[in-house]
Amino acid sequence: MTDRTIKPMPRWLMTTLLALAVVVALGGWFAWYEFFREVPEPVWEAENGHSAEDMRFLYGSIGAERDAGIPYWIMYVLPRVFPDKLPGPGGNPPGAGGYAAFGLAWEAGHELPVGFTTKVIGFKRVAQNCAICHTASFRTKPGENPTYIPTGPDHTFNLEALFRFLVDCAKDPRFNADTLMNEIALSKPKDFSFVDGLIYRYILIPITKQRLMARQSQFAWIYRHTPPKDWPDWGRGRDDAMNLTKYFLTTSPMDDTLGPTDMPSVWNLKKYSSHAGTRMNLAGDSWNARSVIIDSALGLLSKAPPSNHIFLHEIDWLENYLGNYPAPKYPFPIDQAKAAAGKTVFDAQCAMCHWSDRTGTVLKVEEVGTDRERILSWNKDAAIRANNAVKSFGIERKGLVEENPYGYVASFLDGIWLRAPYLHNGSVPSLRDLLKPAAQRPQIFYRGYDVYDPLVAGFVSQQEQAKRLNVPWSDVVRVATPYDVHLRSNGNMGHEFGVNLPETDKDALIEYLKTL
Amino acid sequence: MDDYWRRRYWWLLAIAIGIPLLIAIWAALRFLPNRPVTYVNIEEHFKYGSTGGYAASGFPYWIWKALPVVFKDKLPKNGGAGYETFGMVFEKNADGTLKDLPVGVQKGHNMGIDRVFVNCAVCHHSTVRVGGETHLYLGMPAARFNLGDFEVFLCDLAIDERFNATNIVPEIERQAGSLSLVDKYVVYPIAISLMRDRLLMLRNRFLPMDPASWGPGRVDTFNSAKALFNFPFHDMEKTSPDELRGAADFPSIWNQKQREGMQLHWDGNNCRVDERNKSAAFGTGTTPATIDLDAIKRIEDWLLTKQPDPWPKEYWPIDTVKAARGEVLYKTYCLNCHGTNGKDFSAPCRVPEDIASKRCEQQGKDVPYGDCVGTVKALSAAGDPAPLNTDAYRLNSYTYELAANQGMLYAGEPYRFRHFRKTYGYANMPLDGIWLRAPYLHNGSVPTLRLLLEPSSPKAPAHRPQGFYRGNDNYDPVNVGFVWQVPASDGRRYFAYDTRLTANGNGGHEGPAYGTTLPANDKDALVEYLKTF
Repeated sequence: MTDRTIKPMPRWLMTTLLALAVVVALGGWFAWYEFFREVPEPVWEAENGHSAEDMRFLYGSIGAERDAGIPYWIMYVLPRVFPDKLPGPGGNPPGAGGYAAFGLAWEAGHELPVGFTTKVIGFKRVAQNCAICHTASFRTKPGENPTYIPTGPDHTFNLEALFRFLVDCAKDPRFNADTLMNEIALSKPKDFSFVDGLIYRYILIPITKQRLMARQSQFAWIYRHTPPKDWPDWGRGRDDAMNLTKYFLTTSPMDDTLGPTDMPSVWNLKKYSSHAGTRMNLAGDSWNARSVIIDSALGLLSKAPPSNHIFLHEIDWLENYLGNYPAPKYPFPIDQAKAAAGKTVFDAQCAMCHWSDRTGTVLKVEEVGTDRERILSWNKDAAIRANNAVKSFGIERKGLVEENPYGYVASFLDGIWLRAPYLHNGSVPSLRDLLKPAAQRPQIFYRGYDVYDPLVAGFVSQQEQAKRLNVPWSDVVRVATPYDVHLRSNGNMGHEFGVNLPETDKDALIEYLKTL
Repeated sequence: MDDYWRRRYWWLLAIAIGIPLLIAIWAALRFLPNRPVTYVNIEEHFKYGSTGGYAASGFPYWIWKALPVVFKDKLPKNGGAGYETFGMVFEKNADGTLKDLPVGVQKGHNMGIDRVFVNCAVCHHSTVRVGGETHLYLGMPAARFNLGDFEVFLCDLAIDERFNATNIVPEIERQAGSLSLVDKYVVYPIAISLMRDRLLMLRNRFLPMDPASWGPGRVDTFNSAKALFNFPFHDMEKTSPDELRGAADFPSIWNQKQREGMQLHWDGNNCRVDERNKSAAFGTGTTPATIDLDAIKRIEDWLLTKQPDPWPKEYWPIDTVKAARGEVLYKTYCLNCHGTNGKDFSAPCRVPEDIASKRCEQQGKDVPYGDCVGTVKALSAAGDPAPLNTDAYRLNSYTYELAANQGMLYAGEPYRFRHFRKTYGYANMPLDGIWLRAPYLHNGSVPTLRLLLEPSSPKAPAHRPQGFYRGNDNYDPVNVGFVWQVPASDGRRYFAYDTRLTANGNGGHEGPAYGTTLPANDKDALVEYLKTF
């Protein structure tokens, strides 16, 4: 007979507690591994005529994956599950070509388009970097693959369509685990495990759906472009930059302004710091390049950066890269004699604004006479709120100009040949058209086709050009978006300088501008 | 008392855990094993071995067997029985009976049942009647196999009201003997329902490219690739109809070693043999997760050095004097683009290695060496005195957008596709085993080599035929190509090919530089020489 006195059970308790601790630790490790573990990006190497630095600009993470990232395999299958929501002719669904339908710069052989970055933070996520809007595409003839210029204005990319696509997909009942997982099964790699599948099915897909749908209210204003249409689409190559800032960085209440403008080139940014009194952004809304880079990057991150130190390190790199990136050379032959004659015309007609102390400074809108809507889309109050928001993240910068905008910046003209269409809202398709009085400039034309027309210094945008250059017009209509100068904020008035020059002078001037 | 409860406890434990465990073990043994079929002999492996496609896409074996019986009315009326009506070839067993599965069909065991699907051989083997006997040649284009009809047959099953367990399971039982209860009431009904789902998806994605228009020996390769990405064909019919018709001949796939570094596919859109093969493997039903890399590698290695079967000169002697004269003509007219001869492709202008390896990396740059073997020649470049000018549809079916999207394939694997590029012409092909590669040109629009040496214009006294029949395996040893004049023979009906239809044009590759203005006896001599390739 054994003694059955009650004893404490330290061993039993300890074993249980130990087991519990192991379970908790394992669970913690599992959660860390599957959701938070950060895998550093590969080291960028020169490729395809791009330097290692170019590759970092084109494909490198700026840290947006954590908060703005979409799980890789969801991003991967969205165009396959929802081809009916991709932009097609005129920028309206349906469209074909997967992510290429958005007019993104996409180098054949690359997993994702330029500007799409991937990073493993627990699971592989896709986000965007600056290059998505700042990589230009051109072709010198129709039977040719595009050449991509990092830091150039992405005149082919339909950003608004991408914003809408993501929200529209999330709203669709087909955005569910069964449908997406079926499509993922056709493409997943061999090491996509059963657990990965469970995580996608029960966590990532529902959360992503919810997060994308949450963007809907912030994006209500871009749905004003859909029927009944009271606003124009941005179309290819444009975005409403200041309203994006207003509604995303400051969560200001929605107003009735709109100001879609051309995506700018961001090469050679050091020119701004070497000239006194220059301002950045089309209406001079920002003090300097660094502020613009910071604000744009924060827009991509969608939240305060997890580490200001890392974030500002990236900003330093970008500032240096963009500061020194040279404007691209004109890819066709230039008639040097004509260009020399053109220099004389330029010095007499254009230099007082475009190569003088006024260059890079804000000129009153009354002086330029171009469409005013862009100016009205920003104001002192918004600037103060935005500056406060960035300050609250603990980031120091000179920031946005805290006053109501009153005019447009007189552009530096470096690489002007690749910056078509022209004027802040991209309302004039070519340099030749810009040298005509507003009434004679094209009233309706197509934006975002990338075959270049050296005769007019601009991209193929009208039927006459297509015919002359052997471009199938049906192809232009299929990919490009129509632009109507009569719609609100799309006006092509103003900047009627040099419009009365003799034709030979205009020819010479255009030839000279190609050399810049 | 203690014992009583202890006993009950064990019983309860046995019931609560033991029985489900036993069922789980049984189910795991029954449904989890994945057994591919492999053959030691590489030729058998090529013909019947698995690529992994049976696992992702395979039909249950017994459904495959039942389909031609239950849906007999949907088979093409081409003569023959069952899958033969699609031009599939059944070899004979030693005892003279037909084999169970045709050449080009793989079998494997997955999810508890035997499953079958096509493999590489289905598009790359065919028969030729030589000396009164039917010979099977591996690696040649499947000149008889009508992939388009096969696709239409399968896709249309999905919308046939008879495609259900009620109609199919009894036929399976008739052929297989009685099924177990699990098979009869669970496995096959579920399999039929899953198969219908999959076929509906394929139907939605593939049928708009009109596979019935291809005819035997052809496939619209890159619209099929677009289907994988679910490009919306119905909408593209309105917005970009020109890129939706790109049917081209199946290629021969022997002698791949010598093709490394060349621009592969008809339009030369990829320089890497391994990527080209993995791309083609999608056609055998594989997905990145299920592809059987070892099995594919075996076939790949074999194809590196596999030689085409030589012209059967014991039956059809070659006139050596005539051939010698033809060789001189070949050197003048053909060698620069098509290589020294059928064995040696190192013509005077083969692209240097360093450029060949870089060529596929380039973006937006013109490709040099346009006239060399294995490089793309523009359809009509400015200033080219002898433009190629063959039918442009196959070229235009491959778009830059597709090339970009293909970079997403095999994502997450070290062998992700990196080398697909949009080109603007067709690649100059080596001519090894050219006698087995009829009809000619990329779209198979010219029935014989001799006719390829005639102009396309119907106004010319001797010209390429505007219409002919494809799918016959009787051979014309004089003109080099399959018999093309008869609509039916040997109890089979052939496919009427009309060169006037979209993408079927037989123009181009003609003019003085292409030998179509030579005297008739020179043309004969040239054809005689090409028989030695």
